[in-house]
Amino acid sequence: MSGDGFEPRIVAFLCNWCSYAGADTAGVSRLELPPNILPVRVMCSGRVSAEMVLKALLSGADGVLVLGCHIGDCHYGSGNHRTVKRIPLLRRLMTYMGIEPDRLRLDWVSGAEAGRFAKITTEFVEAVRALGPLSLPLREEL
Amino acid sequence: MIEDIRALARELLEKGAVECVIGYEVGPTGRVRPAFVYEPGEVERLIFDGRCDQNLVTYLTRRNKPRKKGEEVPTTAVVVKPCDARSLRVLLNEHQVQRDKVYIIGVACPGMQNADGTPELRCTRCDQRVPLLYDALCGEPPEVPTVRDAYEDVQQIEALPLEERLAYWLGELDRCIRCYACRQACPTCFCSVCEAERDDSLWVGIADRIPEKAFFHIIRAFHQAGRCTECNACEAVCPMGIPLSLINRKIAKDVAQMMGGYRAGESDEPTPLVTMLTGEEAIDEIH
Repeated sequence: MSGDGFEPRIVAFLCNWCSYAGADTAGVSRLELPPNILPVRVMCSGRVSAEMVLKALLSGADGVLVLGCHIGDCHYGSGNHRTVKRIPLLRRLMTYMGIEPDRLRLDWVSGAEAGRFAKITTEFVEAVRALGPLSLPLREEL
Repeated sequence: MIEDIRALARELLEKGAVECVIGYEVGPTGRVRPAFVYEPGEVERLIFDGRCDQNLVTYLTRRNKPRKKGEEVPTTAVVVKPCDARSLRVLLNEHQVQRDKVYIIGVACPGMQNADGTPELRCTRCDQRVPLLYDALCGEPPEVPTVRDAYEDVQQIEALPLEERLAYWLGELDRCIRCYACRQACPTCFCSVCEAERDDSLWVGIADRIPEKAFFHIIRAFHQAGRCTECNACEAVCPMGIPLSLINRKIAKDVAQMMGGYRAGESDEPTPLVTMLTGEEAIDEIH
């Protein structure tokens, strides 16, 4: 717990085939995970559109984490090829519009990488905690 | 050049090669507007000069369907400038327009002008004077300036501190009245049901407030990533003077930088955002 009591709310989009399984493995392995993560299971990280990320940020999330299969391991062959282009582009656009780029992170977690899942989520929560709450006008009402 | 366009339009309409010629005419108030010429006798309406800055390619997607069930898609001739030709290439790549149903009247572009006679800003950055694709070319190609776009306007915004950028954009986008003129004028914004106007407001609410307005513009720009040819049609029609091209140009700049110098409409490849990786593994923002 930080001194000022700010607990970041993180929406994590997890791909069904790798990252959600990885999160599951982390839970089964009883690894310590931050409680700030709100997981949303999607069939593929390629499904995560710019709309989803923006809606999460405008609806009260302080950060958005997108996790998918490693490149080459996509269940659908090339779904994450789109993600790896889309999310960095959105990150740059967000920065251009005045939102810190570190509030959006894309990474890869396979079904067996429980430790990696715990490491990435912890890192990300701490990074967003350091940034503080996201303040956008009217965001809670959307 | 005007005589060339008129003669070509007359010939095409008389032969029956096309059903309609889309070009420019002077409207009753003296302003230039799009013209749809169906009769050979009416080709005298057509003009072309530095005021013809609308992107007529926008109308092609709406004509890409049969009039009645069982009929063929009508053939259309369209006057295109180099920037419009890039939009048309994007639509052809995405199979929104059939190549054999459109006759491209390319014009050697002198550059467009503002009402006061000064060159339009976007034309001072353009290095194309002849369209990349055409069936017939009208006019003599003017001298090609060698300047390549340096995105100075985008860099100015990028140089601002983060809080000032947010304040700038919220201020600009707050002026939006959700009239959707930008969407209607955009040649690559052709969805039959717009995400921003769905009855269930799945993503974008229809309210006229800052979050919805900002959401709409960011998403609309993002959907044009790697497809926007910077024709400036959206900004030109905006009744509130929102600098929409700054968002589109930022994305175009990043796409070129991150995805192997890709520029929309200059090749037969669709936008890199819908294709597989081809050696851009070096996209550096991945941790």
